[in-house]
Amino acid sequence: MTNSNENKKSLKSFYWLWAILTVLGVAASLYAPGYLMPKSMSQSMHLSILTMVVFSVAAAPVAAGVYAAALYILRNWTHKGETVPAAGPAFRESGKVVITWTLTSILLTVFLLIWGLGALAADGAGSSSNPLVVKVVGQQWVWSFEYQGANGATVMSHDLYLPKGRDVQFHITSLDVTHGFWLPQMGIQVDANDETITDLRVTPNKLGTFDVRCTQFCGLNHAFMVTQGHVLTPSAFTTWLNAQPARS
Amino acid sequence: MNHTKAIGIALASVLLGGGALALAGYSLASATPHQTAQKCVPNPTQAGHCTLTISSYPDSLAGEHGTTGGAHPDWVSYMNQDLSVPTNTVIDVVVNQYDSGEKLNNIFFDQVMGTVGNVATYDGVTMSKVSPDHVAHTFTLRGYPGIDGQSGKRLFVNVPLPANEGDNAVKIGSGEYPKPLVVKFSFKTGSKGVYQWNCEYPCGSSRVGQFGFAMSSYGYMSGTLTVE
Repeated sequence: MTNSNENKKSLKSFYWLWAILTVLGVAASLYAPGYLMPKSMSQSMHLSILTMVVFSVAAAPVAAGVYAAALYILRNWTHKGETVPAAGPAFRESGKVVITWTLTSILLTVFLLIWGLGALAADGAGSSSNPLVVKVVGQQWVWSFEYQGANGATVMSHDLYLPKGRDVQFHITSLDVTHGFWLPQMGIQVDANDETITDLRVTPNKLGTFDVRCTQFCGLNHAFMVTQGHVLTPSAFTTWLNAQPARS
Repeated sequence: MNHTKAIGIALASVLLGGGALALAGYSLASATPHQTAQKCVPNPTQAGHCTLTISSYPDSLAGEHGTTGGAHPDWVSYMNQDLSVPTNTVIDVVVNQYDSGEKLNNIFFDQVMGTVGNVATYDGVTMSKVSPDHVAHTFTLRGYPGIDGQSGKRLFVNVPLPANEGDNAVKIGSGEYPKPLVVKFSFKTGSKGVYQWNCEYPCGSSRVGQFGFAMSSYGYMSGTLTVE
């Protein structure tokens, strides 16, 4: 009886530690993404940030439990001496503990699955029947973009220009090694493969500039395979497109 | 094992690991070919302009690799890879092009982009694009000044260099070449920074897309442009 009371009393410090670390973890989950993640310029990126926040909040008590247990064990169960200490209580043989962590794991996993499916459904990119088609070509170590201009003429650009509010369908390919087409502020990334066209859609919802980067280590000047994207108003985009020289 | 011995082993491991990393870093830094940057020459007749002269060859017998051509005398090369230019200046570039060529794999690079007026002169003829079927190399400068951030002026300059189909007529270094095709263009620099340039015509042979060998090694078809 005395031992049981001592254990419960001793575990109080663990619960306090767990609670404090959980609060810190939840606070970090709520505020850190705003500083660490790119600013959102599409619904896809908005959902990515929201998913990151929600998943981090859900993971905070789990991670806090692990760290609290580790700190508690280091503080209370450190053994000094040459002899092997007696084995502690085996949690895995406790029915309550096993049921609790199994149910918690199931609940968290099902929640993540439902959230993920909901986020995919909520992303409106790809629903338009008249998307703007942009061919994306990765080549060591420059990106180039092809559009259909007036009268079906091909227009090419090193900067990526997109109209706000219109569904954009990228046809992504590579002329040599595998590159990674990444638009951080748009929340999309996919490999650009040789002799293969990969489709990816996004709908920009904010005016401004964004980054275009390569995420696959593609050779000597990979680090410099960057360019800039611009989200324009639909009329400004049309003006830009019409001003570009047609390519054969 | 006593504590003193354990701490000693731990410290030795850290020192050995740190030493190995330092050695690897030193070796990598030493392996990068170092050459004196070619400096832009101020134009005495035109304020705010300076001239940079570079050359492209079908081998490495005439440039920085010496008359023996160095380790790979048969690799295509630019004469100078590291270029130095002043800030906020119009850079008048003269390229002496000695190499033959073939069809571009991406017609995006047949157009002159990012130069003053988006044009270049080819043996005195001003053009905004060249035939994509006969291109030897490109001079393609792009990116932000350095990779430490995205401040400063972003540059993107692309000038295609048409194939030189002439017969050998001049001797430079230990190589013989046709009379050069002279390509001239200008671009304007901004604030200080280091940019990267390279050839975008796949002239390196081997590997996927012919971007191996000379295209994937420092000292041949790529280099830096330091704005200072």
